[in-house]
Amino acid sequence: MAETIDIQLKKGVLGLCVLALLARNESYAYEIASTLSDAIGMGEGTIYPLMRRMQSDGLVDTRLVESSSGPSRKYYRLTEAGHAALAAQAAEWRGFARSVDALLEAAPTEPQPAPTETQEG
Amino acid sequence: MTRNEFINRLKQGLIGLPAASIADVVSDYEAHFTDGVAAGRSEAEVAAALGDPSRLARELRAEIGLKQWEDTKSPSSAVSAVFAVLGLGAIDILILLPLLMGVIGTLFGFFMSAIGIFIASGVVFATGAFWMPGGVFAALLGGVGGMALAVTIAGLTAIVSVWLVNGLVWYARLHYRLLKPALDAQNA
Repeated sequence: MAETIDIQLKKGVLGLCVLALLARNESYAYEIASTLSDAIGMGEGTIYPLMRRMQSDGLVDTRLVESSSGPSRKYYRLTEAGHAALAAQAAEWRGFARSVDALLEAAPTEPQPAPTETQEG
Repeated sequence: MTRNEFINRLKQGLIGLPAASIADVVSDYEAHFTDGVAAGRSEAEVAAALGDPSRLARELRAEIGLKQWEDTKSPSSAVSAVFAVLGLGAIDILILLPLLMGVIGTLFGFFMSAIGIFIASGVVFATGAFWMPGGVFAALLGGVGGMALAVTIAGLTAIVSVWLVNGLVWYARLHYRLLKPALDAQNA
């Protein structure tokens, strides 16, 4: 049940990571999942509910590409709304990361004797 | 877990959805296994990296249920959206449930009284001329007025119902997005 800050953070930025990935070039789900799994260590299965939601939100659309081996493959690419969402969320993320960095800079690095309470989501 | 076990458990979790939606979801995961095996991983490795199929099924069911409500605002899609939301196991919604029941009961009452007023006004309209004091005109006007009132009440109730389900869906999406994604802590 231990929800680390790590997991909470990943939950928040997963959609942003997918947008950033697809902004470079169109891709299929397995590739997206394995790239993000390597990069930020997320569960691969999560990508499918997420892609479905992004598609119904109109951020991505799909096309089927014939494959030389096996069935045709579903490629995802960003729509215009997806590009706009990427720009907005990236700006938001950078601002947020800057604020957190500033707070961390100001914090003492030595552990303090103050009581620490862990908050779980 | 083998590929077949994973797919079967996924399908079991999706029972009740339209066949086309299930086929769509299953083909996504089948392709994932095919790609994974082609990349040199074992079925068990791919399944472990995907996570718990039952939980994925709950998330997909919620996603598909909410989408249906957004596409077609019908009573049946409202019911499936509400059940999909409950299926996510969002505790807060279970706490909300008694309150929600009260609101739904009230709305139902409004609908019923609208129907009652409509029928009564119809009777006045059709037969009032024979027994109402004030004559034919009073009966006809009274009847039409009553029916208009009933239609207004029913319409307002319908609007409030749609708002209610929309609010619930909005809440669920927020909740689901922030707290409930099936993110496994993968230490790969």
